[in-house]
Formats: sequence, C-alpha cells, structure tokens
Amino acid sequence: MSVLFTQLWSNGGFWLGVWETLYMTVTSAVLAYIIGLPLGVVLVLTDRDGLSPVVWLNKILGTVVNLVRSFPFIILMVALVPVAAALLGSSIGNGAMIFMLVVASAPFVARMVESSLKEVDKGVIEAARSMGASNFQIICKVYLPEAKPSLIVGAVISTVTILGYSAMSATIAGGGLGAIATRARNVYADDVIWLCVALTVVVVQVIQEGGMFLARKVDKRRRVNRRTKQS
Amino acid sequence: MIELKNLTKTYPTIGGEVVALEDVNLTIPDGAIFGVIGLSGAGKSTLVRCLNLLERPTSGQVIIDGEDITKISKKQLLQLRRNVGMIFQGFNLLEQRTVEANVRFPLELDRVPRNQAAARVAELLELVGLSDKAKAYPSQLSGGQKQRVAIARALATKPKYVLCDEATSALDPTTTESILQLVKDVNKKLGVTVVVITHEMRVVESICTHVAVIDNSRIAETGLVSEVFSYPQSDIAKQLIIPNLIRSLAGGEGTKLRLVFNGEQSDEPIVSALAMECRVAVNILYADTKNIDGKAFGHMVITVPDGKSATVTKFLDAHGVSYREEV
Repeated sequence: MSVLFTQLWSNGGFWLGVWETLYMTVTSAVLAYIIGLPLGVVLVLTDRDGLSPVVWLNKILGTVVNLVRSFPFIILMVALVPVAAALLGSSIGNGAMIFMLVVASAPFVARMVESSLKEVDKGVIEAARSMGASNFQIICKVYLPEAKPSLIVGAVISTVTILGYSAMSATIAGGGLGAIATRARNVYADDVIWLCVALTVVVVQVIQEGGMFLARKVDKRRRVNRRTKQS
Repeated sequence: MIELKNLTKTYPTIGGEVVALEDVNLTIPDGAIFGVIGLSGAGKSTLVRCLNLLERPTSGQVIIDGEDITKISKKQLLQLRRNVGMIFQGFNLLEQRTVEANVRFPLELDRVPRNQAAARVAELLELVGLSDKAKAYPSQLSGGQKQRVAIARALATKPKYVLCDEATSALDPTTTESILQLVKDVNKKLGVTVVVITHEMRVVESICTHVAVIDNSRIAETGLVSEVFSYPQSDIAKQLIIPNLIRSLAGGEGTKLRLVFNGEQSDEPIVSALAMECRVAVNILYADTKNIDGKAFGHMVITVPDGKSATVTKFLDAHGVSYREEV
C-alpha cells in the first residue's frame, strides 16, 4: 500500500474526492440544464415544422451548438482558461471548473432536450392546438410533461457525461476523484488510482440506476406495458 | 353555421405547388351531422383543418357564425378554437395524464377553477360511459375507450361545433358503430353541429344528415344524404355510393333501370309483382338493398326487354318506386 493511499484513507481524502466530484457534477448539470433546457425548447419551437418557425434563429443556434460540441472537451477547457480567469478572477478551483463544465455541456443538454421533445407525438401537439392552447401552454402542458421520461433519461446521460468531463478537468483545475488520481499518478501510487476508478464506477452506477428507476417510475406508458406482460 | 367561400389551399414543395383544395364552397348548417367523404388524398383532412385554421387557407374565406375567421387576431383564434372541438383518427390523448386529466386539459387551458372543472369532467365521463376509468391512463384503454375519452375532451369547453377527422377509421366495426352512436347522441342531446371526415361510406350512411363528396381537391357534389345517396350525379359519388354500379351497367341488351329504395315498405315483393303483372322477364344486374326497420333502402339495377320499358315504368310509377334509366 502506498504512502498516499494510507494518508488519503486516514484523513478521509477519498470521501472528500467523491463529494467534490458529486458536487461539481450535480452543480454543473443543474446549471447546464438552466441554459440547455430553454435552448432545447427554442430549437424545437423555431424548427422549420415547429410551432413558430424562425428558420434563421434556428440555424444560428444550431450552428453555435454544433460548434461548441465539436470541440474535444480537453481543448475547449484549455481555451476557456483565460475566459474563466477574466470572468471569475481565477482559472483554477471548483468555480472555474464548474464554469468550464457548464459551457461544454449546455449545448449537449440542448440537443438532448431537443431530441426528447421531438419524440412527442405530433398528433398530440395538433390536438392541443385544436383546443386553443397557446405555444407557451403547449410547452408547459404538453411537450415537457409528455417528454418527462425521455427527459429524465437524457438528464442521466448528460450527468454521466459531465462526470467524465469533471475527471478530465482535474488535469487543469478543480478537485474531486480526477484530481486525486492525477496526483497519484505523479507518485506512482497505482492503488490510489484503482480505488479512484472503483469509486467513479460506483458513483456512475448510482446515478445511472437511480435515474433509470425514476424514468420508469414516472412513465405512465411503461408501467402498463409491464403489467400486461405479466398477466 | 359554417360557410366556406372559394377556399383554396396549396402547399409549396420542391417539385412545384401541390393543390390540396381548389375553390371549395360549402355551407354547414347548424345542427347537422355533415359528412365529407372522398378517397385518400382528395383533400378531406386539409378541408377539416381549415375549419379551425390548423391549416391556413391560401385564399378564400372560412365564415363561422357570420365572422370570417381568417381575419381575426391570434388571441381571438385561440378563443374560437374552444368553440370548435376536434377528434382524431389516432385519438391523440396525452399519454402521461389520466383519463380525467385528459378531459380536464382544455378546461385547464381555459383556466377554469378546479372544483368547477372536476364537476364538468365527471359529467362528461358519465356522458361517454367511462366514469369508472377516470383514474386510468390511456395505455390501459382499448381504442374505442380512447376515442370516448377524446370525445369527452372535445366537448369539455361546450363547443358549438365538433370536427371528426377519420375518427372511426382505426376502430373495428362494432366499436365504430358504438362511437358513431355516441356522436349521434351528442348531436341530438347537446345540439352540437358535427363535421365528419371519412372515407367510409357506412359512416355517412349511418349518422350523417348532409354530405359533400370531395374529389381531386374539389367538391364534386353536396346535399342531403338522402338525395345524394339516392341520385348521385357525379362519377365519384356514384363510385363511392354504388361501387359496382358502373361495372354492372356495361354491355348487355335491353333497357337498364336503376330502382332506388328510399324507405318504402320492404314487405312488398316488388320485383316478383313486376314480373307477374307486366308479364316481363326481369333480369337483376345489381342489387344492394337493406331492410332497416321494415323499410327498404338501396339500389337495384334491372334490365327489361326494350319494347316493355313503358309498361314497366308505368308499374313502378303506380307503386311509388323511384327509378332512373341508366345508359
């Protein structure tokens, strides 16, 4: 057992790592959704066959989203270092980290939201229109509730992706399991690295399984199908 | 009353403009069950969507109760749609809402207070016979039950008009019958004017008072069902109403007469009587007749030898059977 392992084990460093990873991931995911959810809604609305087509706006937003998404995260991160320094006064630490994670993942979230909303049956949208629903009502009362299970699945995928990014970002700034693993690599403490990997696997599993359970639970279609299968 | 004046709808496509409706003129009187029948792609669905402006006509007027709705503001249009309910072939229920929440949906859009809405929902579910399914989700229902929920939902805001877009086309014959009966009840009890879009003859036959036959984006023929069905004028109407008539008229000797039964006594053996009294050999080329409550409905094509047609028509006139000579 390496010195670092014993040290981290006794001072609770591993738990701090798990906590920091979770904290960064969840905070970034929430902020990414605050930006990405409305963006995804706008992408659906302004689409050529959306509720209020604005083709030029849709094209511009689509291009920006694609542009940010084409950057490999590690490169985007390096590019964002001066931006984070200018905006937050620091390019290291958890604040800067979260900023980078949000910039990188919000466009991803927007696409996830867009694809979930597009799964909603066009006929149901038409029915709501026929009842005199405004576009705002259609978004709040049809698109979002009807797409809820799919949105939750999307959120799980986004969160796991952000968690992966957060470990990567440890090469530049921030803490968490990624930072511990990086430190361990410098002193050849393989056992620490392996424990970090194991802990990450556990965290991902919890998010994944918990999210999927929730998605199944809220889906009124799935629940019935399962019951029919049993009978 | 809904009036369509010179209604035209074209869609721009890459290969040029596609005409969906051309110069459509129709009057849908209050209290009617107005059928619009036509083959697939004739423009029926576009027509019905022009009535609540889910599709905007390229030109022409849609006049509902004296007001041209193509000219009203967006806000007024949303209000107007609460007065025009709609049901669909695919039911289009909100899958994540219970039956009662689906029926409540239009009331929520209208910001009706909760307890008031709850009472209305209970009333509607009672009307469509689904009170026991209030807490069920759409995926737990059969097709017929889903359409009942959709009907209840369409009626929630007490509309004056209900549009049915192929509402029974996805249902089996028995279920179709019960849904049609419900639509008829709604028309009678609530005085709702119903517009029924369909490609199925029996739908028009069993519930409609008026019918418009649409063909190639144009109205080929329109009128009371009893008139149009007895004496179809256009080729498309003949083809839809008496599908095998045209074929049965081809070739052969003699005079061909089409007898139209429109509610005469069905216990009278008219063809046998004709053969015996006029001493003529009658040949039946085509027959599609029904006995509904002791009354005869339908068509029959007979041939009589050329020289005898005067005697035969005299007999038919005397017995009150209407007929047309077909060539």
